[in-house]
Amino acid sequence: MIRDITLGQFIPGKGVIHRMDARVKILLLIAFISLIFCAFNFASLGLVTAAVVAVILLSGISPKMYFKSLRMIIIIILITSVLNIFYGTGTPIFEWGFIKITLSGIFRAIFVTVRIVCLILVSSCLTFTTSPTDLTDALERLMKPLKIFRVKVHEIAMMMTIALRFVPTLLEETDKIMSAQKARGADMESGGLIKKVKALTPVLIPLFVSAFRRAYELAVAMECRCYRGGDGRTRMKVLHMKRIDWICIVFTALLLAGVILCNIFLPTVF
Amino acid sequence: MDFISAENVRFSYEEGTKNVLNGVNIKIKRGEFVALLGHNGCGKSTMAKMFNAMLTPSFGKVFVDGMDTSVEDDVYNIRRKVGLVLQNPDNQLVASIIEEDVAFGPENLGLTPEEIRRRVDEALKAVDMYDYRTHAPHKLSGGQKQRVAIAGILAMQPDCIVFDEPTAMLDPRGREEVLSTIKTLRDRGITIVLITHYMDEAVMADRVIVMDSGNVLTEGTPVEVFSQVNLLKKHGLDVPQATELAYKLLGAGVKFDKMPLDESECVSMLREVLA
Repeated sequence: MIRDITLGQFIPGKGVIHRMDARVKILLLIAFISLIFCAFNFASLGLVTAAVVAVILLSGISPKMYFKSLRMIIIIILITSVLNIFYGTGTPIFEWGFIKITLSGIFRAIFVTVRIVCLILVSSCLTFTTSPTDLTDALERLMKPLKIFRVKVHEIAMMMTIALRFVPTLLEETDKIMSAQKARGADMESGGLIKKVKALTPVLIPLFVSAFRRAYELAVAMECRCYRGGDGRTRMKVLHMKRIDWICIVFTALLLAGVILCNIFLPTVF
Repeated sequence: MDFISAENVRFSYEEGTKNVLNGVNIKIKRGEFVALLGHNGCGKSTMAKMFNAMLTPSFGKVFVDGMDTSVEDDVYNIRRKVGLVLQNPDNQLVASIIEEDVAFGPENLGLTPEEIRRRVDEALKAVDMYDYRTHAPHKLSGGQKQRVAIAGILAMQPDCIVFDEPTAMLDPRGREEVLSTIKTLRDRGITIVLITHYMDEAVMADRVIVMDSGNVLTEGTPVEVFSQVNLLKKHGLDVPQATELAYKLLGAGVKFDKMPLDESECVSMLREVLA
């Protein structure tokens, strides 16, 4: 059951988004997120939503996967949108005791819901279409300018690569330790929350010990393979900007222009 | 000249504690296949780490291709020449895609992307894992993971590969896979040091070195070493089953000219005796 948890699950494919440069994808994701929060009226919000839907269709990944990622945070979406309904100002259209619902409150709720949904959809699109290594590689390259502030860019990227590599291994190990402790009579299912959390101690301690042992062995193995940090290291896969990347950048720029124009010439909702 | 030469190597992990190695002398020629035998705690894994400068002797010297392992500046060049494959395949793989893991070593050497690509493909083909190049490591079997780890070392094109109990954590099938990979590497002219406590693995080697409590107990060709059944038994070591059978028959008065090392040899010798 614990193996069902997947982190940043990559789904291999040959679609347009898959072929894009991971660096461009990360930058465009940031652009999209800012656009989602800069849409102040229905026209611009509709524009951004249409763009998000287009991206999802282009990714060539079944909508089922996107629904799955939305389902995980459905409660958060519901709570925030319901709360926002009551935060509106202006004349109430419905009143019952201290509860007042206004038109602006309903608009607010719609905006928040659409924004969160779009946010989740574009971010999942990135993790679905980009392999973890490409992602860390792209981050390392994008963060390179931070080196002048003595940020250890290569080390951070290497840590992320190793963490992603060992997630399945450690999950498998957790499963094994749990079974081993159950075989020795450990009770992990019964009792309240606090009791259940306490019951995890005999699982976590062996897990930590083994993780440290693995870390030591991995360090030895890496040194055996001439690892000396990021200096003088080259990469097998070089990221290239292709025509498709430029096309996507142009489209995002057009989208940005559209949102700005809508914001300027059409009234804001609140 | 010897490719690797360990001269009177002594070593203890912490000062003042018991020596793990007590003056070991080992010489390995270029292209040779040497098996290093011994039971747990005899110092054979410590010796493995001496060969690629992961550890340096407290006393004595280790030379690799004429370079002293205790000279800091040569360490990198030594590790380029001598690769080390460890016991647990899981803890040797760095990246979450096979080909990127194999590329890790060559990337550290600072080669061009084209050269890295060429070496990765070649190494994966050599261990027969090319079809899995885009898979994730945790989906592979133990034997496959260990072969990927070997490919990762092979892609650095070392002159010598030291295997530190590469089959200890594998099932019989994985063991078979790894051993046949080691044989093909030997045929390519790579110097091989196989550290093991399986006697039947040691039989494959050109030369067997037996270690016991930090010393070299005996060395020679597999036939020479395993003929000394008494000596090995006295130090708690096994001999291959075929040798053991012959030894017992010898004790019962059957005449053999030499000791058999594996099943087929044993069968043919028994046939001769019975004829």
